[in-house]
Amino acid sequence: MAEHILQAHDLVMKFGRKCVLDRISMQLERGEILAIVGGSGSGKSTLMRQLALLQTPTSGSIELFGERVLEMSEFRTLPLRRRMGVMFQNGALFGDLTVLENISMPLREHTSISLETIEQIAMLKLALAGLEPEAAALFPSQLSGGMRKRAAVARGIAMDPEILFLDEPGSGLDPVSADAMDDLVLHLKRTLGLTVVLVTHDMDSLWRVADRIVLLADTRIAAEGTLQEVLESGHAAAHKFFHGRRGRVVGATYDQ
Amino acid sequence: MPGRCQNMEQARSQRQVNSRTGFAIEGSRATCVGNWQAQELHDVEKLMSQVKWPADAVEFDLGGITSLDTVGAWLLFRTIREIDDGNRQLSVLNVNEQHQKLLDLVEDRSESIRKPPKPYVPGVLESIGRHTSSQFLQYFEFLNFIGKLAIVFSKLFLRPWRLRWGLVVKELQSAGVNALPIVGLLAFLIGIVIAYQGGIVLRDYGANIYVADIVGLSMVRELAPLITAIIVAGRTGSAYTAQIGTMMVTEEVDALRSIGVAPLEILVLPKLVALVIALPLLTVFADAMGLFGGMIMASSMLDLNSSTFINRLTEAMTMNSYLSGIGKAPVFAAIIAVVGCFQGFRVYGSAESVGRQTTISVVESIFLVIIVDAAFSVAFSKLGI
Repeated sequence: MAEHILQAHDLVMKFGRKCVLDRISMQLERGEILAIVGGSGSGKSTLMRQLALLQTPTSGSIELFGERVLEMSEFRTLPLRRRMGVMFQNGALFGDLTVLENISMPLREHTSISLETIEQIAMLKLALAGLEPEAAALFPSQLSGGMRKRAAVARGIAMDPEILFLDEPGSGLDPVSADAMDDLVLHLKRTLGLTVVLVTHDMDSLWRVADRIVLLADTRIAAEGTLQEVLESGHAAAHKFFHGRRGRVVGATYDQ
Repeated sequence: MPGRCQNMEQARSQRQVNSRTGFAIEGSRATCVGNWQAQELHDVEKLMSQVKWPADAVEFDLGGITSLDTVGAWLLFRTIREIDDGNRQLSVLNVNEQHQKLLDLVEDRSESIRKPPKPYVPGVLESIGRHTSSQFLQYFEFLNFIGKLAIVFSKLFLRPWRLRWGLVVKELQSAGVNALPIVGLLAFLIGIVIAYQGGIVLRDYGANIYVADIVGLSMVRELAPLITAIIVAGRTGSAYTAQIGTMMVTEEVDALRSIGVAPLEILVLPKLVALVIALPLLTVFADAMGLFGGMIMASSMLDLNSSTFINRLTEAMTMNSYLSGIGKAPVFAAIIAVVGCFQGFRVYGSAESVGRQTTISVVESIFLVIIVDAAFSVAFSKLGI
């Protein structure tokens, strides 16, 4: 039985009278890649933000590394946050710092190892994320979309987190870059033993990287399990989502 | 393996950097113990660079490491690489699978870990040159902007119904009506302050009545237009820059262009027209509030009742002094609107740039307003108004 490092019970999120998430319960096992999928506006980003402790649900509970985090003060959750990394959709790199300084920042804040070592580690993470050493001296505004996402991943893994959250890693990238992003996720999982939660609606990513899928539809979890299980669940939302024209084309390619 | 356990025990009891994390050298064996993660490793890092390594052979025993991250693996790898002088026999013992993965990882990537390239920092001379040329460029761009605006404006004279009057009214509301409270309050307070400062001197000479001259002339000719313009520059000019700047970032300005609408016509012209109408009106209001403040102060401090004050005021003030104050307001309004919009269009790239241009916009428009005000004073004195 694998260890559950993150568990959510009955998460409810309401904006005013509009219910976005309704009693969502799910677990995250150590070492797996979990994909949260759903149509636009299905609340998948909201769910990820709640799991990453960036947004407080209206009600429900979250157990992270065995601790109930919603009852804890913001200050007391800081050590837990250090064990998670987040890649935001557009990178959210600090604009007035170079890429190297961006990646070094968590290490500088949380450790007292020497600056020289920190820079070496940052260069290592840069290389792990698949960026050339030359990119270290650039500012975020000088990077292309794909490079920005890679730099954001490098910052996310700076502290060797146990869980890495990726918000739409493939969006806005050309197919080749998106493929490379998938490779990166698999590579990181293999080498660093990361647990990954990713939000996506990219069919290719789902086929290639996801161990398990949570499909959100109509504010609830419509289906959950491996891609095969979700496909066979027969749920209307799953059918609509995966057997639409785009889904079918990709599926057919992989079946061959 | 009883031998290994014994070594571990010795290592534990012998020395440790702190109770959990560290390493110890005994003979040729370096025993690493504890939690080798980034937060715990500062002492290990220091010790590794200071310790005297055995000359013939070093065996790193990783059996006591409870958890290892990339920082720990890198420190180990780096140390091994540094002390590998060809004569020493180096080996790593008791490596578990997870640790081996990390050691392989840092070894694979060690090629790319070199001195990071430094971002290019220009020298003093180059900075001065770049700044100068960018300033000149900005002046040309500003002239260009004014020229384009003049063309759009002249077209407007031919077809005045093309102006978006709905937008003008909206701008009048936000730049004019909504600014009344703050402009009124500040003008009122300035009136009080002028009456008080003037009153102190006038009372000594028994010339109390002339406080009306001081308050009247300074407020109406100089302070009311200036204060109003400064408030509006901070309040409305900055809003113009921020609005247009945000639209630049979100490509809304480009969207306007693609639809075939001139951004100047829809974004700048209504603002300019509205502000040229609103600022003189606000100035009139500021005149009245300033005089009212002076009157209150005069009656409470100098025992000058209000009818005396107003009588003296009508004698002291001429139509010329009133108009010379009001007349400056449309010019100030044009400066504020044009600078505010121009800086908005200069926003480039990220949201950060919006903030920077907004600051520049406020500073520049206040600067220009005061310069132009001084120029007006010189001109009026030459003309004898």
